[in-house]
This record gives sequence, structure tokens and C-alpha cells, in this order.
Amino acid sequence: MTGAGALEGAGAAPGGGAVPGRRRGAAGGIPGRRRGAAGSVRRGGWTPWLYLAPALVVLGGLLVYPVYQLGLISFLEYTQAQVSGGRPTSFQGFGNYAALFRDEQFWQVLLATVLFAAACVVATLVVGCALAVLLTRVRAVPRLALMLAALGAWATPAITGSTVWVFLFDPDHGPVNRLLGLGDFSWTYGRYSAFTLVLFEVVWCSFPFVMVTVYAGIKAIPGEVIEAAALDGASPWRTWRSVTAPLLRPILLVVTIQSVIWDFKIFTQIYVMTNGGGIAGQNLVLNVYAYQKAFASSQYSLGSAIGVVMLLVLLSITLVHLRLLRHRGEEL
Amino acid sequence: MNLSRLGVRRPRRLLAEASALVIAVIVAFPLYWMVLSALKPQGEIQSAEARPWTLSPSLDSFRRVFEQQEFGRYFLNSLFVAGAVVVGSALIAFLAATAVTRFRFRFRTTLLVMFLIAQMVPVEALTIPLFFLMRDAGLLNTLGSLVLPHLAFSLPFAIWMLRGFVKAVPEALQEAAAIDGASRTRFLWQILFPLVFPGLVATSVFSFISTWNDFLFAKSFIISDTSQSTLPMALLVFFKPDENDWGGIMAASTVMTLPVLVFFVLVQRRLVSGLGGAVKD
Amino acid sequence: MKLRPKLSARLGGPAAALLLLAGLTATACAPQTSDTGATKDDKSGTLRVWLFQEVGNGPKEQVVDAAVAAFREKHAGTDVDIEYIPVETRAQRVKAAFNDPGSAPDLIEYGNTDTAGYVRDGGLADVTAEFDAWSETKDTDATARQSVTVDGKVYGAPLFVGVRALYYRTDVFRELGIKAPRSQAELVAAAKKIHRAKPGLYGLAVGGAYTYGALPFVWAHGGDLAERDGGTYRAAVDSPAARKGIEAYASLFGDDNCPAAKCASMGGNATVTAFASGKAAMAIGGDFSHAAVEAGAVKGDYAVVPLPGVAEGSVAPAFAGGNNIGVLRSSSHRTLAVELMKSFAGKETQAKLFDTMGFLPTFTDVRAEAARKQPYVKPFVETLEAGARFVPASPGWAQIDASLVLPTMFQEIVSGRKDVAAASGDAARKMDAAFAAAG
Repeated sequence: MTGAGALEGAGAAPGGGAVPGRRRGAAGGIPGRRRGAAGSVRRGGWTPWLYLAPALVVLGGLLVYPVYQLGLISFLEYTQAQVSGGRPTSFQGFGNYAALFRDEQFWQVLLATVLFAAACVVATLVVGCALAVLLTRVRAVPRLALMLAALGAWATPAITGSTVWVFLFDPDHGPVNRLLGLGDFSWTYGRYSAFTLVLFEVVWCSFPFVMVTVYAGIKAIPGEVIEAAALDGASPWRTWRSVTAPLLRPILLVVTIQSVIWDFKIFTQIYVMTNGGGIAGQNLVLNVYAYQKAFASSQYSLGSAIGVVMLLVLLSITLVHLRLLRHRGEEL
Repeated sequence: MNLSRLGVRRPRRLLAEASALVIAVIVAFPLYWMVLSALKPQGEIQSAEARPWTLSPSLDSFRRVFEQQEFGRYFLNSLFVAGAVVVGSALIAFLAATAVTRFRFRFRTTLLVMFLIAQMVPVEALTIPLFFLMRDAGLLNTLGSLVLPHLAFSLPFAIWMLRGFVKAVPEALQEAAAIDGASRTRFLWQILFPLVFPGLVATSVFSFISTWNDFLFAKSFIISDTSQSTLPMALLVFFKPDENDWGGIMAASTVMTLPVLVFFVLVQRRLVSGLGGAVKD
Repeated sequence: MKLRPKLSARLGGPAAALLLLAGLTATACAPQTSDTGATKDDKSGTLRVWLFQEVGNGPKEQVVDAAVAAFREKHAGTDVDIEYIPVETRAQRVKAAFNDPGSAPDLIEYGNTDTAGYVRDGGLADVTAEFDAWSETKDTDATARQSVTVDGKVYGAPLFVGVRALYYRTDVFRELGIKAPRSQAELVAAAKKIHRAKPGLYGLAVGGAYTYGALPFVWAHGGDLAERDGGTYRAAVDSPAARKGIEAYASLFGDDNCPAAKCASMGGNATVTAFASGKAAMAIGGDFSHAAVEAGAVKGDYAVVPLPGVAEGSVAPAFAGGNNIGVLRSSSHRTLAVELMKSFAGKETQAKLFDTMGFLPTFTDVRAEAARKQPYVKPFVETLEAGARFVPASPGWAQIDASLVLPTMFQEIVSGRKDVAAASGDAARKMDAAFAAAG
């Protein structure tokens, strides 16, 4: 498929190699009832929609509809008095957004969120990939040990992981400060040290996904390819850069976009480790900020507006990602 | 030739293995600390001397966890919710992934993009609308109010991950099945489903973990009926206003983490091959 | 370049289709507003009650169970289902209860600073008539009555009052030859002297998030949080008097008493814990902290005096905290719920709660009796009698409290991010916005 047609073509283009097998079977009787938009459905008839129906019902009812409500609330005046006090809602237009954009703190939090998420994504990917490569170079016992440790980190509930990490770095009782000779240095007091501490925890609990996935990807690459590179005297770094990484590109794209999505929405770690956003709110990220606005202050509309902004930011990141995909002529 | 190659490689490999072990220890250390704190007697946890061992392990903290009212009930509830979400999302995602990979139809790409976008929805922000949805459906205070939202939140990722798996099954197989007279439905469940199963296991891990570990819905939607509470509530009671019961928190966390870890170890191989297959094109 | 518009155009169709689908699964199309007032008043059935889970909750449960037993004896065919909920997460649960009458309890315990907010949210029932008709309430003290009153109507019954005073280590004071401070200047000097002599101890444990420990300093200097301005409130934390008090409190954060790196994030419980575990020579703790301190390492080596004010021998006005019991507006058992409220908040139960939990009664006669029985209560009663103060009785206060306006202000100051004028100015702006929004 050509680059230009990737996205559009994949959906509606009638050409290409038809697969006759798909037209047989259950959907046979349905074509007669086609009308309207369905008229252009070329293959499979109603069958794909039949298969999709449960997913669409669940997602429509429990995801799309609430998101629609979220958007709606962000345009209304909606506080506890409206929710349970029986007061009527009133339409605010972009009033909530205007209030948000006037709020200096919002911009600070937005910036902190983007930078922090970027740092987390980069750190997670670097650690995950490095350890995946390491896994391929060791024998069964160390590999099993590292794998089990990583799976353990992955399995730990975020709230527990966060609690344990704060514990480990506690200025008075934690072993880390003693080990590093930091005395009673308080990690959560300074803005950057607090973010660093949270970053450690985030990397700890999210690198296993990257490691296992990339490791699985490397395993799928024929061994001779890497052997050959090694025999040519290429250093591990060179082998990674010119042989492994290009072959792994689809996998790396997947883990990158997943990491971006997850790290941008970080909630529990910040909430637990910095006690709801740190000293004077210095460690707030958007998701926690929205939660504080909505639940602590009952300003549901402001919280919703922040949620919508988050969604838009993530959406634009994805669009860039999709554009990159299209640029390279790849298909979804 | 062979000898010299070994000679060059051995020190490097040993170095790699040594660092793998060291890293494994570092990664496992927080977990070790969790279990250790759960086993330490009450006075020792917050003492100024943070020893990485304990001379008098005690099961008191675990006892406090298990002696909670209806702990077994919480556990079963959690198991039920996670199980329902895993099975439900696996089946629904399997059907949906089949639709988007083995059929060409209008809006296919759009749908795919929407499945991706759906993953971006910040769960926390949706608590409010979901709360009202659950209330109007009369589901608040029931396990259904946990199953449904989790199902919705784990589906997009599951579909997204399963695609590669379904794609990997050769088209020819379907044609062969059709020639043998298998109906589309039979092909779907008797041929495609078993082939895709490893991928289903891999994606199930994600839905299981996110559901099992969730606190937000568990404490937002189960308002007053403790018989419908899940495990996280058994952990939350140890976060107390005056001083957190660290021993209890760590013991409850250990109890919560263990089943997931067991599940992980059981599916470890499948997980690796599964993730490999899921992202392969 | 063209992807964006095209993509969005493509999303439009299916999105609409999905919305249509969604319409089938849910009937409502706009965000909910609901009036959750009750429509019936059943005289039998199960009453659901939420009480706060306290430190060492066992004795409270016994007292409550006894009150329940007495209640059930009087009202045949009723059952009472008690749940103890964590104080920290109460806001969410109570809000959820207001939103869903189906799963809401009939009776709740609530912090007295939440009164105005809960009333505005339409959660609490007006029980003025029943409260006034109740013979015991003639002895309810005025501050306690004020804490259940909004715009002249009563929304519950006071359960206990909580007031804070100065805990100090008698052994440390004796060793360093310091006497219990009689003025704020002496207090600050003593704190710094102790920390110099014993660097391992905080002189006076203070917390950047400990609003109720900081307020007495503001009030002692003649400042206030807000002033009544016609029907509403206007923030006054940035007034010169208030700023002086803020400055006095902030001066306690530092390497010469309580290092900001540790103390900026502490709340009230953390400071009391530090004292109880022997890490602080002084702390501002409540009568309700007595049990926790007794259970700590400093048992037998401490005493309590009223927190000194600015002038020598004066008492700094304390915050009149405490909890109330209220009936939910959505309760379908209103009459019974009110009876149960009386049984929980009545003289008999309050006296028992004092004996077992140390909660100060809200009835003046019961309280006097308590002070006679337990001398440790004396400094707290003295503090109350010297005139306790209350936070603004505006629904806006709940929001100010929940959005951490004051902790943020103190933390900004003690971490050196803003000076007192700037931080208090910001706080005043946020408070005014909250008061305005509350109407």
C-alpha cells in the first residue's frame, strides 16, 4: 500500500487482492438488507459489525457516553449543589476553560506533566530495552531471576509500590539514605528530588512491560542475523542500532505509544508518594490536579475541563504518531 | 576457532550474567522490603535502625489482614470481578480483533484509531459520569459496577494487542476450512480461537492486573455495602488517620500481589511468546 | 498535513453512531441533577449509620453498641447497621452518599467544619424543631450549638468538642531548666533553646499542613481568617494582624526548631506522632490525642498547658473542633433516625464516650463533671473557657479546606517560595473566590 493511501485506503478502498473466502458463510443472507452507508461495504457484509457489536456496545455505553458527559459537564456550572442539591445546571460556554487558562497554576502543571511524562517514557524505554538485550545474552538462571523480579514489580499494585518506595527513601527510617550516606535528606521536599523519586517508582513498575515485549521481539528475530553482525566485529551498541532496532521498530512503536499513554496519565504514584501533589502543590500533574479540583473542591466542571484538555493533548500526540506511521507507508 | 570464540565471549557473558543478577536483586528489593516489613514485629518497622532483616519474624500483621471482617469475601469478590473482566474482555476483544483484522470494511481504520484513542481516556476523570451511569442503572453497591467499567477500560488495549495475533493466523487456513465445509462460526471458535489463545493469555494479564489492583472504582462505587467490597478495601483500612499501620499495609499488599505473581509465573512463557506475537506484523 | 481534518471527519460518523448506541444503554442525556430529599418516613426497618473510625476504635464501638441496644429496646422492629468509615476519605464517601439516596445511610457523624458545606450540598436534614424540643439541649454549650447551625437552622446534634493545647516534655524542660511557656515569645524561645541543646529533638513540632495548629497564632495576634461582610465572608488572612500571626508560626520552621525539609509536609497527626514517639519536646495536640500520647514512648514524662497567647499569661484562642451527628435529608426513616441521633449525642452516651475515648462532652454540665473526674482535661477546658474560635460558617469553607488553600500558603512561606505578603495575598484571593462561589 502506498504511503498516501494508507489510512484512507485501508478503510474503504475496494481494490487490492480480494479474499473470496470471506464472503461466504453466515453473512450470506444479509446483503439484501443493505441500504444507505452499508451499500459501500464490499467484503464481509454485516459480519464484521456483528463481531464488533459487543465491543461497540460496551465501549459506547461505558466509555464514549461518559466521555461525552465529561465534555458536557466541562461547559456547565456543575458543583455539589447541582449534583445533589437539586439546583439547576447552567450553561457556561467556554467559561470553565477560560477560568482554567487564566489559572497560572494550570500552565505550570501542564508543563510539569509533559516534561515528567517525557522523562518517564525515555527512562522506561532505555531501561526496558537495555535489560531486554541483556536477557538475550545470559543463560537460563540469571534470565529467570531477572524475569521473575521484573514480573514481581509488574504485579505489584501501584498504591503498594508507591508506598514501599516512599518507605525505602524515608529520611528517618529508609535504607536507601543510609546506604547512600545521604543522612536525613528528604526526597519529597524539593520539587525535582520528589519528581525523581516518583520517576524511579514509575520506571520500576513499567519497565517490565517494555522489557518483556522487546525481549519477545528480539527472540523472534532469527538468531543468524545477530550472529552475523557479532561475527563481523560489531559492538553490542552497533548491533542494536543497525540490526536489532530497525527490525524491532514496530514493537518499539507500540511500547512507546503505550508508555506515552500510561505515563501521561500517571495518577497513583504522584498521589500517594507526594501526598496528593507535594508541598504547596509542587508535584501536581494534570490527572491529580483534575482529581483534586473535581473531588476535593467539588468543582466538577473544572475537573472535567482538565480531563478534556488531557484527552486533547494525548490525541494530538497520537495524531503525530499516526502521521509518522503513514509517512512510512505502514498500515494500522 | 571455536575455542577462541568461547575465550572472547566467556568473560563478557559472565559480566552480563553478573549484572543481570545484580539488577534482579535491585528490582526485587522493594518487594523484599514489602514482605520483610510485613513480617517485622510492630515496633521494628518504624524504628530508627532500618535493618534489612528481622530476627523475630512475626505473622501478626498477616493475622490482622486475615482477621478482618469478611476478608475471604473480599478475596472472592476480587476474584469474581477480575475473572469476569478477563473472560468478558477476552471474548469480546477476540471477536472485535477478528473483525478489524480479517475483514475490510468501511470505517475499519477509523475504528482502530478510536480503539487507540479510547486508551487515552483518563479513568479518574470519568469517575463522575460513570458514577451517575451506574446509579441510574441501579448498579451502585454491586459488583456489576466494578465489572462493567473495567471491562470497558481493558477492551481497547486488548483489541489493540490481539490484532497482531489474529493477523498471524494464515488466511489459507480459513479457506481450507471453508472448503472442508466449516461454517464461519465454526472456523471462528474451533480453529481461530485456539490458535489465538496464547495472545488472549497475554492480553488477559493486562486486564487482570488493572482490575485486580484498582482502588478508584472499588472505593467510589461500592458506597455502603461491605459485602460487595473487594480486596483493595482490605488494604485501605490500614491507612489510618493517626498513623498508618505499615505492617498491615505491607501484609495486605503481599497478599494482594501474590495471586498476580502466581498468575504471572504460570503464564510467563505464554506471555513472552504472546507479546512477541501481538506486536509482530 | 491533510490527515488532521480528514481524520476528524472520519471520526464524526462513527462517533455519532456510538452515541446512538449509547443512547440505548442509558436513558439520561444530560448530566444529572437530583433532589435527594426523602418522600417517606418509615417507622420500622434497618437504619444505616456511618461513624468515624477512631484511633483505637474498640471502646467507641462498645459505647455505640450500648446506645444501639437501648434504642432497639425502645423501638421494636428496628435494626441498626453501623459502619465505621475512615476520616481521611470521608469527603468522597459522603458526597457519594448524597448523590445516591439508595445506598446512603440515614445517620452520619461529620466534622463540624463540614456542616455548612453539607447543608449547601443538600445532604443534611433540618432538625431545628426536634433539637429545640429535646430537653437535654438546654445545657449544650454555645460554641457547640453554633457548630451545627447554619442560617439559624440546626442540622444535627454536637457529639463532642475537640480543642488543642500545648503538650510538653517535663523531663526535657526540667533538664534544661525551662518553665512552661507563658507567652508566645517564651514558647518560641523555649523551642529554639531545646533544639540547640538537643538537635535530635524538634523544639516545637509544627506542620506546614497543620492548619488547626497554626490558627491560634493568627488569632492570638488579633487576625482572623475571614470577616463577615453582610451576607457573605471576605478573606482577612492578608490583614496586617493575620500576617503577624502567620509570620510567628512560620518562624518555627527552620534549622533552629523544625527543619522545613521535614516539617513543611507534616499535618497535625504527624506532629503529635513525633511528640508521642519522643522526637519532639513540644507539640500542639488535642484532648483527643491524649490516648495516643499515653500509648507512646513519652508516657509519664509530659504535661499539658493551654497554648500561650501574645500577652504574658494569656491563652491563644483555640480552634473549636469536634464532630456532630446528623440525619440525612434522603433518609426514609426520619423520625427513627432523629431518635437514634439523640441516643448517640445524648448526655449518657457523651459521658461514656468521654470515659472511654476522652472525647470532651458538648454539654456544659457533663463536661464539668468530666473535668472533675479526669484532671488531664483541665487545660483543655481552660482553653475552651478562654474563648475558642471557629472557621467561617460558610459553605465556601469546605472548599477552601479541601483545596488546601491554607496548607499551601504555609508551605509556600516556609519553603521560601513566597514571602508572607504574597502567599497570604494569594490565599485571600482563593478564599474570596470560594466565598463568592458559595454565595
